[in-house]
Amino acid sequence: MFSTILEQVINGIVTGSVYAIVAVGMTMIFGVLRAINFAHGEYYMLGTFGAWFAIDYLGLSYEAAIVVGVLSTIVVAYVVGQLVMRRMVGAPAESGVLATLGIALVLQNTIILVFGGGYKFFAGGYIEPVSILGFSLAQQRILILVVCVLVFIGLELMVTYSRMGKAMRAVSQNVECCEVVGIDVSQIVLRTFVLGAGLAALSGVLTAPVNVSVYGGMGELITFKTLPIIIMGGLGNVRGTFYAAMILGIAESLVATYVGLQFRDTVGFATLILMLMWRPQGLFSTQARF
Amino acid sequence: MTLTETTQPIRKRDLRIPLAAILLVVALAAPFIGSRYVTHSLIIALIFMLPAHGLNLLVGYTGLLSLAQAAFFGIGAYTAGLLAVTYGTPFYVNLIAAGLVSGALALPLGIPALRLRSTSFVMCTLGFVIIGQAIAKNWVSLTRGDMGLSSIPKPYFSLGPWSYTVSGTTAFYYLALTIGVLGTLAVWAIVRSPAGRNMIAIRENETLAESVGIPTWRYKLIVFMLSAVFAGVGGSVYAHYLTVVSPLTFQMYYSTTMLIIVLGGGAGTISGVVFGSLLFVGLTEALRITPELRMIAYGFCLLILVFWFKKGFAPMINRFWGMIGGAK
Repeated sequence: MFSTILEQVINGIVTGSVYAIVAVGMTMIFGVLRAINFAHGEYYMLGTFGAWFAIDYLGLSYEAAIVVGVLSTIVVAYVVGQLVMRRMVGAPAESGVLATLGIALVLQNTIILVFGGGYKFFAGGYIEPVSILGFSLAQQRILILVVCVLVFIGLELMVTYSRMGKAMRAVSQNVECCEVVGIDVSQIVLRTFVLGAGLAALSGVLTAPVNVSVYGGMGELITFKTLPIIIMGGLGNVRGTFYAAMILGIAESLVATYVGLQFRDTVGFATLILMLMWRPQGLFSTQARF
Repeated sequence: MTLTETTQPIRKRDLRIPLAAILLVVALAAPFIGSRYVTHSLIIALIFMLPAHGLNLLVGYTGLLSLAQAAFFGIGAYTAGLLAVTYGTPFYVNLIAAGLVSGALALPLGIPALRLRSTSFVMCTLGFVIIGQAIAKNWVSLTRGDMGLSSIPKPYFSLGPWSYTVSGTTAFYYLALTIGVLGTLAVWAIVRSPAGRNMIAIRENETLAESVGIPTWRYKLIVFMLSAVFAGVGGSVYAHYLTVVSPLTFQMYYSTTMLIIVLGGGAGTISGVVFGSLLFVGLTEALRITPELRMIAYGFCLLILVFWFKKGFAPMINRFWGMIGGAK
């Protein structure tokens, strides 16, 4: 009994790590743009498809596929950022919602149109199980955990010490003052956006071997899961996002085991609505953003 | 009076009434002009026009961007489908029940949702669609889960000994046209009433509207419920037309389609919604564009609407209307 719970918690932490890497990009983008990126899950999907394409069509190894997936997504994100996201600086919140919904529609359906809407088998990754402290865990899941921890340490350092991180924090606090002191706001928005999209793609590529199947509509579900996480974590809060993703991952895993698998995907939205009602500032409402 | 007449020396003829008459004749004769498939496309456009009218009351007149329309559309479709399949009730009962159930459910959903603003409200309304789909999938004893409701009977009317079953595309077209026209007139009446002006005041400046004594909270809640009623009625017609309802009725796809109709046609105008549903739903259906291509087109439309073409087709429709009306 106890070991099943522990096993589910560990599974939840792995799922949480996947969500965390995606959500942290979305929360940073919110920080600089004050807009929810409803297309964020699509970059997760693009990364996965890039890697799948590299393995299935180009015959590359999984390691190379990770690079292909992330880089191709970064290229797409750069174009979208140049054409759309930069225009969103200072635009009303509704425009941000509509524009990113539009991007989501275009990206998702282009992929479905080109590769078909069916499920595809993702052949790659390190799926051999290893045994740690009596639990057997696929290598890939351990990789996800390690990458997640590294990503968050890296982001924490970047946001605190690097010029780019400082500029990001400045933009998230006051756009006009940034322009006065000479910070190129639209450049910062573009870079943050590309970084966030790249992280989402990385998460997608790392998760693909665990999920096994790849399909064009997969991004939408990830966007929907990311929304409650960034609200729980407090919008724009990197560390809060990490904890919130873990909470959602574990909660989903426990609900799937003890309530029913079909209710797993509802947990997020129930959380989202409850959070918006009672604590819209998030669970970890620290003053510091980022 | 003479002054205005002399300053407008070249006064063209007012062609508005003749054009309206022609449009009416075309609308009535459409099943006989076009093929069966064109009639089918027009029916779909007319069905989507109803939830779009409801969304227009929210987005265009009250200034609340909602994605929940698909949820109420689905609730309406399920209500009508369940009544028709289980009790075999006549069509108008199903239609009214669908509107009432959707509107009634909008109250408990609207009370928490409307406390939120802008993006949070959008996310919350999106949540309703997802949760609606989950309920439709998992409350198997009521909704039959993923199988959905099938073989919903054709709409029939009965009044005492008299009864009539709407069968065939042409007959259904006239039914949809009647409901569409009644719905449009209802929106027109709402918008022209003092309540409509108060809604516009809330859209323009909520704080100011509140300060001049408009009960903004009550208005927003009522408009949210009204929009749900429209969506529910649309859903009931949709269920009877397709004769199938499945959990996929609760989909972002429908919310996006309704949003495109309203924003593309021109939020805050009634003619825009009518034009938008014909263009974005009727035309894409008639051209048999695949759903994927259609969604890509909608996506680009949204981007264009947000950044370059903010008012949709409404200014063009107005200019055209003014032009044929004799104004310069």
